[in-house]
This record gives sequence, structure tokens and C-alpha cells, in this order.
Amino acid sequence: MPDLLARSAVRLDAAAADRDDAVRQCGRALVAAGAAEPGYVDAMLARERTVSTYVGEGVAIPHGTLAGKELVHHDALCVLRFPGGVDWNGERVALCVGIAARGDGHVRILAELAQILLDPGRARRLRETADADEVIRLLRPDGEEIAP
Amino acid sequence: MDGKDIRKIVVACDAGMGSSVMLASSLRKELRKAGVTVEHTPVNSIPGDADIVVCHAGLGARARNSAPDKPVITFQVFLGDPAVARLVKAVKDGGEIGA
Repeated sequence: MPDLLARSAVRLDAAAADRDDAVRQCGRALVAAGAAEPGYVDAMLARERTVSTYVGEGVAIPHGTLAGKELVHHDALCVLRFPGGVDWNGERVALCVGIAARGDGHVRILAELAQILLDPGRARRLRETADADEVIRLLRPDGEEIAP
Repeated sequence: MDGKDIRKIVVACDAGMGSSVMLASSLRKELRKAGVTVEHTPVNSIPGDADIVVCHAGLGARARNSAPDKPVITFQVFLGDPAVARLVKAVKDGGEIGA
């Protein structure tokens, strides 16, 4: 069973021209990780154009549509940080957590992300850290990360 | 419907992959003590025993079509949406839910 969030799927120095470019980069990272067929990238763009995946605190979670699920091989996440920011329908996104899921494997990491976003201090660390291992540590469910 | 009568909340999403999962997990945590079940499902398969449906405003019409007999609450933002905050308060303290 491959890692849900592989270190090689964490990129902290990405840059994107616009929202669609950022979504495509997330999709390509998931495809490169072997998590999805190349067509999944289009499913992610389709979803983004219907309903934004911006979730607050400068974070978006691009993922595919229900139809796109058939193109997913296994549950996986990627993290792309955009230090220069990306305009996301008027919001500024600094971090994308891309998702490919056909089961529930990603649920615990997303639950962890929800808790991080409700804690502005941890959300800031997630956006600003230059250490890929810290990103993985922060998102690890039931990890050592305890909010001060 | 009164918040106190809610036993099961369903957070509906297109694919059940993203923000619905996050919102469901934070609602579950917040409402655990109130004895309320929170599930996330695709908007096309809202379970019959749901008391209320929560979904993104962009999916509201599809949720109402899929579950015409259930109150649907829509939110715009995942973090701190006033509609979700009102729902949580109504479940915890009782009070009418404006669907």
C-alpha cells in the first residue's frame, strides 16, 4: 500500500500563473505518484469550475468530480505550496492539498487538516514552513503535533 | 424543525472527497456530546434517515432534488460560515432551524 502523502508529493516552492494552472500542477503530481490516470486532471478542473475547493486560511483542496473517481487508482494526497500566492476567485491561496480518492483512506488526513485550519497558528505554520517533513508531520493524524 | 430533534446530519458533496469530509469531521467533533451522528455522502445518495442536509451553496439545488423532503442548509465557506454556526447552536441549545 503506497503512502497516502509521499514526501515526493510535497513541493514547497511551486509557482502558478493562475488557479487552473495550480489545479493542473496538483493533478499532475497525483498522476506522477501513480494515484490516478492523466484524465483525472480534467476532472479536477471541472470540479473547480463548478464549485471552488477553497476552504479558508489560504488553503484550497483541489479534487475531482464524482465521475472522475473512476480514474483514481488509489487514495493519495499531494501538497503544493505557492509562496507567491495564487488568485483563487478573489481569495489568495498559498497552499494546495490535492486529493485523489476512491475510498476513505484520505479522511483522517482531511480531518487533521480541518483541525489545523481552525487553529490560526498551525494554519500559518502549514502555509509558511520550508520543511517538507514538517508538512507531513502537521498533517499526520494522531501525530505528535499538539496545539499549544 | 427544532435543533434538539436532529439526530443525523448529512454533509453532501459532489464526490464526497473534499470539503464535505472536512466539514463532517469538524461537525462530528463539535457535536459528539450532543449525540448527533454526522456523515458525509455524495449529493446523489443522501440517506433516507438524514434529519438535515448541509452542503455548499453551489450544490444546493442538486441536494434539494435528491432529498426533496429534507431541510437543506447551504454554506459558502468552510471556515466559520454563519449558516453552519447557527445550525450548531440550534443543535446544542435547541431552537428553530431555518432551512
